[in-house]
Amino acid sequence: MISDITLGQFFPGNSPIHKLDPRTKLLLTVAFIVAVFLANSPLAFFSLFLAVLTLVLASQISFKVILKGIKPIIYVLIFTALINIFMTRGEGEPLISFYIIKIYKEGIIRAFFMAFRVILLIIGTSVLLTYTTSPISLTDGIESLLSPLKKIGVPVHVFAMMMTIALRFIPTLIEETEKIMNAQKSRGADFSSGSLIKRAKALIPLLIPLFVSSFKRADELAIAMECRCYRGDKNRTKLVKLSYKPKDFLWFAFGILFISLMIALRIIPQHISGSISEELFNFLFFKI
Amino acid sequence: MNKLEIRNVSFIYGKGTPFERRALDDVSVSFESGKITGLIGHTGSGKSTLVNLLNGLYKPHGGEVLLDGVSIWDKPSEISKIRYRVGLVMQYPEYQLFDETVRGDIGFAPRNQGLSESEISERVAEAAKFTGITDEMLDKSPFELSGGQKRRVAIAGILAMKPDVLVLDEPAAGLDPRGRREILGGLSEYVKQSGITLILVSHSMEDMAYYCDNVVVMSDSKIYKAGTVDEIFSSAEELEKIGLDVPVISKIAARLKADGFNLDGKLYTVEGVKDAIIKYLGGSGR
Repeated sequence: MISDITLGQFFPGNSPIHKLDPRTKLLLTVAFIVAVFLANSPLAFFSLFLAVLTLVLASQISFKVILKGIKPIIYVLIFTALINIFMTRGEGEPLISFYIIKIYKEGIIRAFFMAFRVILLIIGTSVLLTYTTSPISLTDGIESLLSPLKKIGVPVHVFAMMMTIALRFIPTLIEETEKIMNAQKSRGADFSSGSLIKRAKALIPLLIPLFVSSFKRADELAIAMECRCYRGDKNRTKLVKLSYKPKDFLWFAFGILFISLMIALRIIPQHISGSISEELFNFLFFKI
Repeated sequence: MNKLEIRNVSFIYGKGTPFERRALDDVSVSFESGKITGLIGHTGSGKSTLVNLLNGLYKPHGGEVLLDGVSIWDKPSEISKIRYRVGLVMQYPEYQLFDETVRGDIGFAPRNQGLSESEISERVAEAAKFTGITDEMLDKSPFELSGGQKRRVAIAGILAMKPDVLVLDEPAAGLDPRGRREILGGLSEYVKQSGITLILVSHSMEDMAYYCDNVVVMSDSKIYKAGTVDEIFSSAEELEKIGLDVPVISKIAARLKADGFNLDGKLYTVEGVKDAIIKYLGGSGR
């Protein structure tokens, strides 16, 4: 079923991560993304891994759910890893040489770390943000963080509202798609076999009703909002005001510490981190 | 003969996720051909899930769905053939219309079946007749029609497959009384003429009492009770115990009985109660 997709879905809960201010989580996510791209040595990856593990444990989200979130990108990962393995030219003798195909140690290292980096990136950001933050508080956080831009005339509130609505309607659209697909399947429509052109044609009975109902729904929503006197952020007050708590500052401190660590690992002279990398690689692949 | 039967069927939504929810729990029931069977139950009692299992949109996690004694999942690659034999009209089917003309939309399923153009137009004409769609409407765009007309086009789209079993999930929801009567009346006429099995999901006890021969009551993912309309509606207390209503006319009859009027007969349709009162008064009718 389509509704099995979990990427970008909120899991209500009561964990320390759930309770953080959305702004804290947003800023930590940015820091985390920077950290992921700073990492270039095994030691740095190891610390990243520990950080992600801590986040996952703190969020109390089951590993099963997290693994399911990675599933959709598994083929992309394998594909890029293969490209990295075959296309990277290293110094020294290739490990395998077969006509034009030459596989170097560096290629394997690079492919491995690339895949690792993407997986950590996805787990980290989804645990920090999408799994543990409700779409509403997420957009509240974005709006609050971007509010300085209002001074130069950027309609921050409108963007935030648009995002809230878009996020809110993703599950509805998935449900709707499934419903229409089932209705057309009941009339003998076939979405999963035949040539590419046949399959593209088979989508027409799905897409037209989907568009029609989406436009209708958007229209109804706009009318409902106007009936409740919605007029953007003019004089609009908030039911729940965001406020930083002591635990937010604690997590900020963690974040800053972690980023400093990653920067430090990055500037450590290459030959040191390089030799650690070599040793760890040999340990991982050849000793076992 | 029992055409469609389900045996010990279980179904779980979101199996293996934190959102796991059991929708059907060891359900067994059979539907007689040539009869209209009503399916009633609360929202979330498993009615719609059951309906989606009947034509193989969902695959049961346990048990079997049998059509003419053969499991519909015997040959999974031929499940679309089952879907032509068990026609399913979903809730609010007007949202599935897509073709440029009503004619094309009704002909969508027969075209998928691979019929010839002449057969298709024959079937479209026949389905249109039973659902009260005029020739003039056939050449319009389905998006120009009113809600009730769209609903009829959607039902005609399933009738055009000439299914052996027809399943309708709330076919009259959101229609005015006249629209309800026309659609349900047309369908019961169709059952009488073609002898197919009709399964009707509805919240309206009045419709159930009026149109159905048999009734299956679902509650809490299980079959609560199944039997003829007489059997089901004569025990109003039992239905009320699981939070379902009985037809208004049954309530009136029950009050009359409580006040000492000894009524007897089919006390769940207006006609039945009328006859019972006349009989009680000892009159001849006029």
